[in-house]
Amino acid sequence: MDWSVIAEYYPRLLEGAWVTLQLVVLSGVIGVVLAVPMALARISEKKRFNLIPQAYIFFFRGTPLLIQIFLIYYGLSQFEIVRESFLWQFLKEPYWCAIITLGLHTTAYIAEILRGAIQAIPKGEVEACRVMGMSKFTMYRRILLPRAFGIMLPAYGNEVILMLKGSALASTITLLDLTGMARTIIARTYTPEEIYIAAGVMYLLISWLFMLFFKVLDNLFNKHRLV
Amino acid sequence: MYQAPVALELTDIHKRFGDLEVLKGVSLTAHDGDVVSILGSSGSGKSTLLRCINLLENPCQGQIAVNGEELRLQTRSDGSMEAADEKQLAAIRSRLGFVFQNFNLWPHMTILENVMEAPIHVLNRSKAQVKEFSESLLEKVGLADRAHYYPAQLSGGQQQRVAIARALAMEPQVMLFDEPTSALDPELVGEVLGVMRSLADEGRTMLIVTHEMKFAREVSDRIVFLHQGRVEEEGTPDEVFGSAQSARCREFLATAV
Repeated sequence: MDWSVIAEYYPRLLEGAWVTLQLVVLSGVIGVVLAVPMALARISEKKRFNLIPQAYIFFFRGTPLLIQIFLIYYGLSQFEIVRESFLWQFLKEPYWCAIITLGLHTTAYIAEILRGAIQAIPKGEVEACRVMGMSKFTMYRRILLPRAFGIMLPAYGNEVILMLKGSALASTITLLDLTGMARTIIARTYTPEEIYIAAGVMYLLISWLFMLFFKVLDNLFNKHRLV
Repeated sequence: MYQAPVALELTDIHKRFGDLEVLKGVSLTAHDGDVVSILGSSGSGKSTLLRCINLLENPCQGQIAVNGEELRLQTRSDGSMEAADEKQLAAIRSRLGFVFQNFNLWPHMTILENVMEAPIHVLNRSKAQVKEFSESLLEKVGLADRAHYYPAQLSGGQQQRVAIARALAMEPQVMLFDEPTSALDPELVGEVLGVMRSLADEGRTMLIVTHEMKFAREVSDRIVFLHQGRVEEEGTPDEVFGSAQSARCREFLATAV
């Protein structure tokens, strides 16, 4: 074992780790933003609103993330209409393709987690909103979504950690995230053991950071459980 | 004799759950300041009746009017009725305070936040004004010192008193109580009944579904006894408790008192 390669290449690994962090955080933001309407449509009493989220979730949960990444990165560029649209400036970049795919992928999971959390709210609490004459919008904004967010946090934290590891697949479309960077360094130095260990430790550190972050969120949204 | 204006009027309310007809045409009128207790055995339809008033349950037939304003209803495909105008329903609901058997406080908010929520976000009142009023209500139900506690930190009786304060914060014209003490152990029942008694003394219009016979007899202006989805007996407490016409009602009161 030659540990000096780590000393030499750790700044490059840190660069990769920074890209990985961006992938997870940005796709996570996309995921939360899209998952809210998705989950609400999924539980709507109007049956025709259920179809789109059902089909969406069926597709994104039922196919491998790797295939989704390939479909968006290699697939979309086949269409002239895509290449000529303003979206092309994003879709030609592996970075944005990875973020978009990870975001769309995690949306499906977060939507299901959120749906479960909303449905786990005791019926009486919803009735308490209704008897006050609250509009549906106010009820969701003020009571149900904040309440559901507290309920879903453990499952959501889990999903973010899964996405952290899933983001390694972005290295297959030439992106130099932590995994991609590790493979590039190894191709040059032939020290897979050392570099993969170093990369693994960095993944551990990042997941630890996320765990801390979710602990802070938990203190914020589930204050009432701690007292 | 002077008759106060009608606060709440229910006409011929029917409710079916599938094939089971729970309410078979119940009519009830409460004037301003009336305290009406609704008694009856389990399954007699008294909770369902109360929940039909603000459409927590959708009646299949009948009319509901609050302060002379009739709630516009339309029939759905399954035969039950829903509000024809959601805005009107919301407005009427905000004028009816509802207290649940299981309190149903929002657990992620403090006591004070629970009380302040609806006046601010439904009635669009200013925060400062609502805060002052809410604190005075908590004072009234004896929980001013618990304003910043969470519901889970309170006993059942305390939670129910908060729920009453939360309903009062909307300054409702009628208060509806759905077995407010049934989830409480005997020692905690008294504190909730005490608060309700003081509301009755203030002259509030109240509809109370309860199993507390002694309380109902002392506090009510009128007693309605429901049996199998119909009003079986109705009158002043002395009439109903003293000389009920219906044998079923006498039987029920005899076992209960």
